[in-house]
Amino acid sequence: MAEVTVLTDDLIRQLINVGEVDLLVGLPTHNNAETVGGVVQAIQAGILKSFPRERTAILNVDAGSKDGTADVVMASSINDLRRAYNTHALRTLPSITTRYAGSPSSETALHTVLAASDLLRAKACVVISPESVNIEPGWVDALLRPVYRDRIDFVAPIYRRPKFEGMLVSNVVYPLMRALYGQKIREPYPADFGFSAQFGNEFLAQHSWHDETGQFGTELEMVLSAIAGGRRISQTFLGTKSRSEQHPDLVAAMRQTVGVLFASMEVKSPDWTNPQVATVLPTNGPEYEVTLEPVRVNKKRLSQMFSSGVSELAPVLQSILAPPTLDALRQIAALDGDALRYPAELWAKTVYEFAASHHKSVMSRDHIVQALVPLYRGRALTFLMENRSASAEEVEANIEALCHEFERLKPYLVDLWNGGK
Amino acid sequence: MREIIMAELSQAMQEMLRSAAHLLPRLIVMLIIAIIGWVVAYVLKWILRSILVLVKFDKVSENAGASQFLSHAALPTPTELVSRFVFWVAWLGFILLGVNFLGIGGLQQHVSKFFLFLPRMFVALFIIFFGMLLASFFSRAALLAAVNKNWGSPRLLSIAIRTITVIFVFSMVFEELGLAQETMLLAFGIAFGAAMLGFAIAFGIGGQDLARQFLERRFMQEKGNEKEEEPSPL
Amino acid sequence: MPARQDSLWYKSAVIYQVHVRAFYDSNGDGIGDFQGLAQKLDYLKDLGIDAIWLMPFFPSPLRDDGYDISDYRSVHPSYGTLEDFKKFLTAAHERQIRVIVEMVLNHTSDQHPWFQESRGSRNNPKRDWYVWSDTDTRYKGARIIFLDTEMSNWAWDPISKSYYWHRFFSHQPDLNYDNPIVREEMWSVMRFWLDLGVDGFRLDAVPYLVEREGTSCENLPETHAIIKDLRKKLDKDYPERLLLAEANQWPADLRPYFGDGDEFHMAFHFPLMPRMFMALKLEDRKPITEILQQTPEIPPSCQWALFLRNHDELTLEMVTDIERDYMYDSYALDKTMRINLGIRRRLAPLLDSDRRRIELMNGMLMSLPGTPIIYYGDEIGMGDNVKLGDRNGVRTPMQWSGGWNGGFSAADPESLYAPLLLNPVYGFQAVNVLSQKRIEHSLLSWTQNIVRARRSTPVFGSGSIEFLYPANYRVLAYVRELQNETILVVNNLSSSAQAVELDLSKHKGRIPIEMFGKNLFPRIGNTPYLLTMGPYQFFWFRLRRI
Repeated sequence: MAEVTVLTDDLIRQLINVGEVDLLVGLPTHNNAETVGGVVQAIQAGILKSFPRERTAILNVDAGSKDGTADVVMASSINDLRRAYNTHALRTLPSITTRYAGSPSSETALHTVLAASDLLRAKACVVISPESVNIEPGWVDALLRPVYRDRIDFVAPIYRRPKFEGMLVSNVVYPLMRALYGQKIREPYPADFGFSAQFGNEFLAQHSWHDETGQFGTELEMVLSAIAGGRRISQTFLGTKSRSEQHPDLVAAMRQTVGVLFASMEVKSPDWTNPQVATVLPTNGPEYEVTLEPVRVNKKRLSQMFSSGVSELAPVLQSILAPPTLDALRQIAALDGDALRYPAELWAKTVYEFAASHHKSVMSRDHIVQALVPLYRGRALTFLMENRSASAEEVEANIEALCHEFERLKPYLVDLWNGGK
Repeated sequence: MREIIMAELSQAMQEMLRSAAHLLPRLIVMLIIAIIGWVVAYVLKWILRSILVLVKFDKVSENAGASQFLSHAALPTPTELVSRFVFWVAWLGFILLGVNFLGIGGLQQHVSKFFLFLPRMFVALFIIFFGMLLASFFSRAALLAAVNKNWGSPRLLSIAIRTITVIFVFSMVFEELGLAQETMLLAFGIAFGAAMLGFAIAFGIGGQDLARQFLERRFMQEKGNEKEEEPSPL
Repeated sequence: MPARQDSLWYKSAVIYQVHVRAFYDSNGDGIGDFQGLAQKLDYLKDLGIDAIWLMPFFPSPLRDDGYDISDYRSVHPSYGTLEDFKKFLTAAHERQIRVIVEMVLNHTSDQHPWFQESRGSRNNPKRDWYVWSDTDTRYKGARIIFLDTEMSNWAWDPISKSYYWHRFFSHQPDLNYDNPIVREEMWSVMRFWLDLGVDGFRLDAVPYLVEREGTSCENLPETHAIIKDLRKKLDKDYPERLLLAEANQWPADLRPYFGDGDEFHMAFHFPLMPRMFMALKLEDRKPITEILQQTPEIPPSCQWALFLRNHDELTLEMVTDIERDYMYDSYALDKTMRINLGIRRRLAPLLDSDRRRIELMNGMLMSLPGTPIIYYGDEIGMGDNVKLGDRNGVRTPMQWSGGWNGGFSAADPESLYAPLLLNPVYGFQAVNVLSQKRIEHSLLSWTQNIVRARRSTPVFGSGSIEFLYPANYRVLAYVRELQNETILVVNNLSSSAQAVELDLSKHKGRIPIEMFGKNLFPRIGNTPYLLTMGPYQFFWFRLRRI
């Protein structure tokens, strides 16, 4: 059964009143009063349109917002108390909210949603980010239908994004995951996703939860768990990804993604050491959509941070990278800003060597992850320069090429992992 | 007259012989203890070395920066060093036990002092070891943070942190050992102060940018600017 | 005359709806009659009801189960004579049971002499008694009510070569209420029955009395004027007689039929009924509370008529499309059960003969604000026969015993006006009055108990209602109050056990006494009152202050 520690008495009381549901919508928030109202309305419209007869509840897990976010969510509840007759609502659609202490933590929020889903015996769940201001009612259907009707276990989103957003995902997380596990999950660290109760309960029971400290990255662990468990995964196109006001700084992002990935490689299941052929997942809608809005990027800064990173971190990098790699990096760092190119092959090698060093704990593992950040900046700069005037297809083709490099060099990783430096 | 002297001499000789007769067995015992001690110490060293090799002590000390230091000073590896040290301490301990057994008055006091000193010495070594580890860790953390936040002079910051930590560690060690406490206190104060002053000057002159950025960040909340220059990575 | 002289008798009454044809056959012709009905009055007395509402029994070609009337001042020979009726009426009154008869004002049968004359020629004196037109394009705003059978509200009369207006079947031409003679005549018809001693009329199809171009031809002000006039006359000469409106409208549109207490005494609350069934399936009280929130206040002398089922289909006119689809899929997956935007099934089959659900629905019927109407046979859980056409499936003979013809008639089974139910679940051998009278805990006994409980206090009929909105939306809870008496009703609409916390702070200090077992429950304190309820369970608590 469910972990009890995240469920406060107040939440349990609210769960009693909600009773058994078919669908549960999880909404983790922290000071999102501006945007959450619209998001909840879109969710409700989606439910009323696509699942009017299903018993549904919206669970808001709030990290102690000070701007009345929870009140906005509660006020949106569709019930007979409101006397605002929604002629499209066949039945009550309650919105409940719970607060957890401590700093915002997507781990705690997800833990709460999973526990609640278990207790409410929901058949399918979906988690929506409160910052998804571009959400349309169709998102709910897109994320839930495969789970509820087609027995998919995990539905990952695909967004329409500007080509230079999400570079950490497209240059590290996606290629690495794809090479390791053979699954072409375009957004492996999703803000909006759906999953089946069966899988959710399994993850709830198996994952070791750390509710005390602010933790992030659990969504990625969930994806990895789905892959490890041989669960049915699909992707679905949603729409434009809303620009987040609160995107984490690069070091935190690196920890939440690459750190989690490296740690996951310790667990031998699934056995990622086998060569994988990247399989295309069942996808609803287009596989990607890229908009070509220009993004203001300070290239000089990126270049400078890369170069200074390579030089200042030399003692650290010496312990992590193989000498040829480090030499190559030094040469690149010495180049002038515009001429700086961090080729795909070298990048793949870099990431793999970092992974191996992480495995061998040559130093504090967190420090290893942090050390990757300035190198990533160099890679990001290269990606920017190469795709400066590229079309959407070309960008995807370049990412595809990068993925192929990762796949091609996988034996190198396995070698490093098993043998010496 | 001669007879008196001869008589006295022979008496003295007799007494000496008597004392020697007293002492000799004890000397022999002492030697035996010393030999036993040698054997025990050797076994201890062997056991300890095996344990340390198993635990990959060398590896850990590498992190502490000990390995580099030792190889620079042309000293043997940490494992070897520790094992040998333990050997000598153990053997010395046994020898002193033997000496104690001799029953020579004043010596006993010194011997007990030595044994009392031992635990503190181990504690001190312990402090040094972990202190060095910590210094290494903190300095690396500072280096990474400075690099990733694009503060100026990350190396400087890193060395500063390491130095301060090391000074702190050693002053703790000396305090623990009870060696020249007041002197050390003063010296620590002076060293620390000097270091801080030095770094402040260096910071002020060389780290101007860093200072400005730090203050800006703290008091003017211009996070927006920086973030805008980077698209969302996720 | 009933001993109880009470001008508001209908507020505390429990009404029994019955068709004389279906109840009891005394002369062995296979059709129920008034002599038979009179013989069964003791049964009804035991049941505890206060009034009988009789379905139409006037002479009629019976093409619409008697709603097509061909003579307003007589009794259909199959059911007996006018004398039989008078004797029945007397017997009913002796047992303090009032009798309400059906009065179809809006239309007659096309076999009625009036219509025969009217259609005879354009110059006939009674021509104007009906609504004639040379074209069938007038009154386009009026909807068709019997969608399954009628294509238009106009029918062509080959005799007078013109169209006549009919809101219902084409053999039921509408009377023309713009004609004062028609109004006079209909009042005279009513007087006829009132003089005999009848206690009230259910006026069928009232919204459609008057037509006007450019309107929906429903609920027009002229219609209300006619009703006000009728009521005035009634109050003057026949006080304490009841006018009950049949108007399948939204509550807001129903409100005008009460006027300022100067039109109908009672009207059916049609929109509530399907929502009770819907709430039960959804396991969510929202449909019920919302419709009652939208129900306007009515004058203090007026009363809603509540019912679960009746002789017609369970109408789904007053619900949204989503709700209608849900109801169809929940209660009438078999399309033959659907008719005219409704479901033609009885109460017990609709609820799968689930005793708990039947009790719960009856519990709500008896405790919500209004006068409950029991449809004959539902007190024993009778079934239906969807193979019979139109809505005849819910109008099968009353099942009195497991014997010959279910104790309904001595005739040959083939002569019965409608076949008896024979299946093992609802057949007369399984479901009948005699066997249920012998069992202490039969549905019949239970119904007697709950009627008795309802009648034990005037709160249910005349009291106010305040809904509690516990966070557990599967529980419908409300407080009925009248002067010093307070009753708390809690209904678990869910098929599973529920825990519910009620905010009873207004009634702090009172002791709830459960009304059926008369047991004490914990006193109401400061904290929310916790109740745990079994599936489909309901509580009636008297909140006593001692």
